[in-house]
Amino acid sequence: MTETIGLWVAALFTIGIYSFLYKENPLYRLSEHLVVGISTGFGIAVTYAQVLKPKLIEPILSGEPNAWLLFVPAILGILYITRFFPSVGWLSRYPMAFLMGAGMGIGFPLQMKAQVLRQLEASLIPLYETGMSWDIALGNVVMVLGTLAALIYFFFSKPHKGPFFGTGSKIGIWVIMVGFGATFGFTVMGRISLLIGRIQFLLGDWLHIIK
Amino acid sequence: MNIWEKMLNVDRRWIFLLIGIACIVPFFIPLGLPILPSAEVIGIYDHIEGLGPDNAIFVGFDFDPGTAAENMPMGVAVLRHAFARNIPVFVTAYTPLGQGMAAMAVEELTNESSADYFEYVNWEDWAAIREQGITDRAGIEEAWTAEGNSLPENARGWIFEGRDIALLGYLPYFHLVILGMSSSIASQFPTDIGGTPLEEMPMYQEHKSLREIDLAVTNAGSSACVAWITYGREKIGLPVAFGVTAVMATDYYIYIQSGQTVGQMGGLRGAAEYEVLLHDNGYSKEYGKAFVGMDVQNIAHLLIIFLVVIGNIAFFAGGFNKKTKLKGRR
Repeated sequence: MTETIGLWVAALFTIGIYSFLYKENPLYRLSEHLVVGISTGFGIAVTYAQVLKPKLIEPILSGEPNAWLLFVPAILGILYITRFFPSVGWLSRYPMAFLMGAGMGIGFPLQMKAQVLRQLEASLIPLYETGMSWDIALGNVVMVLGTLAALIYFFFSKPHKGPFFGTGSKIGIWVIMVGFGATFGFTVMGRISLLIGRIQFLLGDWLHIIK
Repeated sequence: MNIWEKMLNVDRRWIFLLIGIACIVPFFIPLGLPILPSAEVIGIYDHIEGLGPDNAIFVGFDFDPGTAAENMPMGVAVLRHAFARNIPVFVTAYTPLGQGMAAMAVEELTNESSADYFEYVNWEDWAAIREQGITDRAGIEEAWTAEGNSLPENARGWIFEGRDIALLGYLPYFHLVILGMSSSIASQFPTDIGGTPLEEMPMYQEHKSLREIDLAVTNAGSSACVAWITYGREKIGLPVAFGVTAVMATDYYIYIQSGQTVGQMGGLRGAAEYEVLLHDNGYSKEYGKAFVGMDVQNIAHLLIIFLVVIGNIAFFAGGFNKKTKLKGRR
């Protein structure tokens, strides 16, 4: 019974959201607001059950050894809330400063390795080697020249004129446009996929017209 | 207003209606267009195919309901593959709503009404077997069937909670959680979402940190992929695979080229390719939702291409490329 009610509620609000395609209406607005509200409420409930209760409240209440240390992150966390009170809002800068500092310290070396050095390494490939098939060699040439051309386009200390900077930046624009085109194609596929998912729900799970 | 201008000023709601029809009709008239698995999807499949009950993987449900249409079939397909091979799976979530998504995926795979479902055995139900000191996968199943339990006809296998699966759920600042799990999984998740202590689970006793894990598959509609690559792959050399939404797919191809990931499922197509691999290799009798959806996707794409071509013909034939502005609503 509860499952059936859930299905009907989900179907009603799916239709409510898609009704916006015809024109804006109260059912759409209600559905939109409920999505935001319920998502936030669910997030708070899960965060309390998974984080605050087992990792902060229970250890302190049960008097675990060194539980007093937990007051440090607890107080830092509470300081965030001071943003809502202008007279003491400046206190919220301390947890933010802590997070930024810790985040930079922990993340910077690994981020550099994962996002920059590894990608640089992956760009330094032989254009051709003995025994390499022609399609692999062509792919390597396109990848290396494409990367260089795109980098030239973003080099603004020299005017984009002449055979190197002028031609290079023009090729760079084309390379970037091809990237945008691929992203746009994937985006269209993604949006249609979401619609397909909802139609599968409406026609399958709700109406049982399709399998 | 001439014919070209009328075409370019058509009420967009007609376009929505056409797309809607194109996305509904193929469900009733399936075309069965072939889907060929790509190298990046085969990479994930082959990696999991090389694992068994002595290994363990992480599967992240790192998405919200908004992208479930794309991410959910990927997660379900990977879980099905792992369960069929008796590979222990730690299930995590990068967002609070992802925890609910993970529970839904497990529900889908263990629902008796679905084909090839897995019979879920709760932690308490096989306590007697644990008390006998039996913790290896084959021994557990043997002892379970010796107790008089038999596998239903349409079920594919058993899932023993704590041996085959641990639903760990959501924790905030997940990149720090990954860092912490590189020392000890239980330091971050002392219990699963049901409150069962991780320390008591056989799968945890054999795999205590991420260093003893053989693959992390993140099904993401968020930046979870970067977190797993940065703090899992680069920090401790953990093999990582992605299941990403189509919108994100192009951003993450660079990690395939650099060898930082074993493979990637991009959008509904990636999920459909994995379903094809599972079906063709005997892991499922039926294709999943993604495969069925791809027929619809193909028709919708053909319609969109047709509309783009028609729109461009109208634009140039009407000479609007030489005019600064169209009349009407545009």
